[in-house]
Amino acid sequence: MQLNPSLAAERYAATRIATAPQPGAGAEARLGQAADSFAQTLRTSEETAMAAMTSGADPHALVLALTQTELAVETAVSVRNKVVEAYQEILRMPV
Amino acid sequence: MNSLSDALAVATSGMDAQSARLRHVAENIANTDTPGYRRKLITFETEMLRRDAPAAVAPGPVRLDQTALEEIYAPGHPLADDTGHYDGSNVNLLVEIADAREASRSYEANLKMFEQVRQMSTALTDLLRR
Repeated sequence: MQLNPSLAAERYAATRIATAPQPGAGAEARLGQAADSFAQTLRTSEETAMAAMTSGADPHALVLALTQTELAVETAVSVRNKVVEAYQEILRMPV
Repeated sequence: MNSLSDALAVATSGMDAQSARLRHVAENIANTDTPGYRRKLITFETEMLRRDAPAAVAPGPVRLDQTALEEIYAPGHPLADDTGHYDGSNVNLLVEIADAREASRSYEANLKMFEQVRQMSTALTDLLRR
């Protein structure tokens, strides 16, 4: 079988980004969107915090961004814990 | 954006507006003795970023109080006219203090609202922990 190097490279590149959240259909898409919005919240908060420290941006915006991040992280951690718990429950299942 | 997150943003806009108001009160009080100073009046406007967005508040254009300036009798003053009077400012300290107190109370109300929303949001997430 003839191997096409450019095709192989293409496939390799396509596989590498498989771990990144990408828009699709169904539950995975919604999960990807949730992860995206979570990352966006964190990014906004970081930018606002840095702006507040360096250029004296509005402290209210800082508090708002930090609170929203805190709530987002709490939610993410709770969901993660729940998922891990379910996974361990399955692992403990007598076969 | 969910409702809780929107509520946080609206409460923040309220705090922002009240601090702008307090800033203008501070300017007025600082300029009480400035000749010819007219006190600044702040207005508030409803601000809607999107069509279905929550109605946040934003400080509107600043206007100057057009009531008459206080006439101060001081013949030796460099600004005094022939009759020995010059125009002071039209700032009334009593009004300014009342305004500052009102801004402070409104700020507290928004702060309380913020705390309440945050508490509700945390309580909701806590449901997943048990």
